[in-house]
Order: sequence, then structure tokens, then C-alpha cells
Amino acid sequence: MERGTIEREIYIEASPEVVFEVVSSPEHLREWWPDEARYERVPGASGEIVFGECDAGGTVVAFTVVDVRAPHSFTFRWTHPAGEEAIAGNSLLVTFDLAPTGGGTLLRMTESGFREMGWEAAVLEQQYHDHLSGWDLHLSRLVPYLATLELQP
Amino acid sequence: MSAAAIDTVDDDLWSAIGDPTRRRIVDLLLTHGDGTATTLSEQLPVTRQAVAKHLGVLDRVVLVRATPAGREKRYRVDEAQLAHAVAQLASVTAAWDARLRRIKRIAETIQHDRPASKRRTTSGG
Repeated sequence: MERGTIEREIYIEASPEVVFEVVSSPEHLREWWPDEARYERVPGASGEIVFGECDAGGTVVAFTVVDVRAPHSFTFRWTHPAGEEAIAGNSLLVTFDLAPTGGGTLLRMTESGFREMGWEAAVLEQQYHDHLSGWDLHLSRLVPYLATLELQP
Repeated sequence: MSAAAIDTVDDDLWSAIGDPTRRRIVDLLLTHGDGTATTLSEQLPVTRQAVAKHLGVLDRVVLVRATPAGREKRYRVDEAQLAHAVAQLASVTAAWDARLRRIKRIAETIQHDRPASKRRTTSGG
């Protein structure tokens, strides 16, 4: 049982079907999170997500689909060692829950496993981008990171 | 204070501050400056022994530091370590908030670009 959980939620003016596609498909995932995403949307399927350019020192991170219930929920594990089965204790567990609300969707994200994994793994892409010397990021991606950086000790 | 020592602390930090009684203890120590298991238990609905145990957990992750005070130990909050823990929690939640804002923007753009429902004569895909 993983310990150490954060929960965030956001209201989206789109149907659960649309939101489900955005949070679960590899094509959309790379629009809001990694630079590359390779996995099949099937429970148990293992794949990977990549931050940065794979050929230019990017970071490849293991990604395993745990559960797919369109359009209600999508669950995956990430940050487990490459080649290892993703289980409690070696990875962070992320669940998206979608609830139709007021013509749109209330999206709730739960991430757990920080007790076992520590905090650094969860902001891996941030570390990566911190180390980038270039400024070739889209402004929309950069601004939230700048807000985050101010919190660093 | 090597990097390795801080990494070890990070793994346990969440469980240390994740417990409501321990958060209350940290609150009391911040309010009063310091305290012992005895003085803290007088302000909490738990026994002195339970408070001593919680202080032990907080001490191990260096959220508090102890100095001898007669037969007891007097504890103070290590504010640098507390700030470190809070910053870690804040950076993870801020990263997710940024991702969720991008998810919202993408989903709302897709929804907006779809034909209005009254025009939906062909099968949606």
C-alpha cells in the first residue's frame, strides 16, 4: 500500500469522453507532459515516456498502464526501474478520475507512493528542464515551471 | 549534511508530516518556540508516551532537534528542514497543477472545435 498522496482537481468544460482521450492517449500525453510517449492503452501494457530529446541526453522513464475505464478513469504507474514490473514500492501510482459535472467534467488526479519513492522522482521533467541551457520551450510550458522554481530552496 | 543524508530524509519526510498529530506537534513547537513530551502532551489529546514516540519520528527526519532538559529532552523545529519538506510538497503539487491546466486547455480546445451538437449528423469520432 503506497503512502504519501497528493490530490488535485480541476473543472474542464469538455465532455468526459474528450477529457479521457486527453489524459490517457499517448498522442495527447505528450502535449501536456512528456516530449514523447510510447505505450498501448491496455491494462498491464508497459511502455515509456521521454523528457527531452532521446538522442540528446533526454531521460527515458518507465510507464505502465494499470487500468483503463473509458470515460471514467485511467490509472498508470511510472518511475519504476526499466525492465522491472511496476508494483507498489518501486513506482508512483497516478489515477485520473472523471466525473460529469455541470455540462463539463471534474477531473481529479491522485498520485501516491511518495513515502516509498521520495519527492524528486515526481518532478523529474522539471529537473530535466532546469538543466536545459536552451530556452526552446513553449512559453505556455515555461511559465508554470518558473512559478515552480521559485519554491525551490 | 551530505546530499545522500538529505535524500534519505526525503523518503520519510512525507510520513513524518503526513500524520495529523505530528503536524499538530510541529504547530505547537512553532507557536511556543520549544517544548518537551510533557508540555506537549498537556496540549494534545494523546499520552506523553505517544507524544514522545511522535517526537522520535520527527527527530529522525530532522524536522525537530532535541537538547537535554533535565530528565527530558527539549525540542525545537528545524525550520530549514521544515521549509525543505514544504518546498518539496509544493513543487510536486505545482507541477501537477501546471499539467492539469494544460489538460484543461487541450480538452476545451478539442471540445470547442467539435461541430455543435445540432450539427452532429455524421457519426462523431
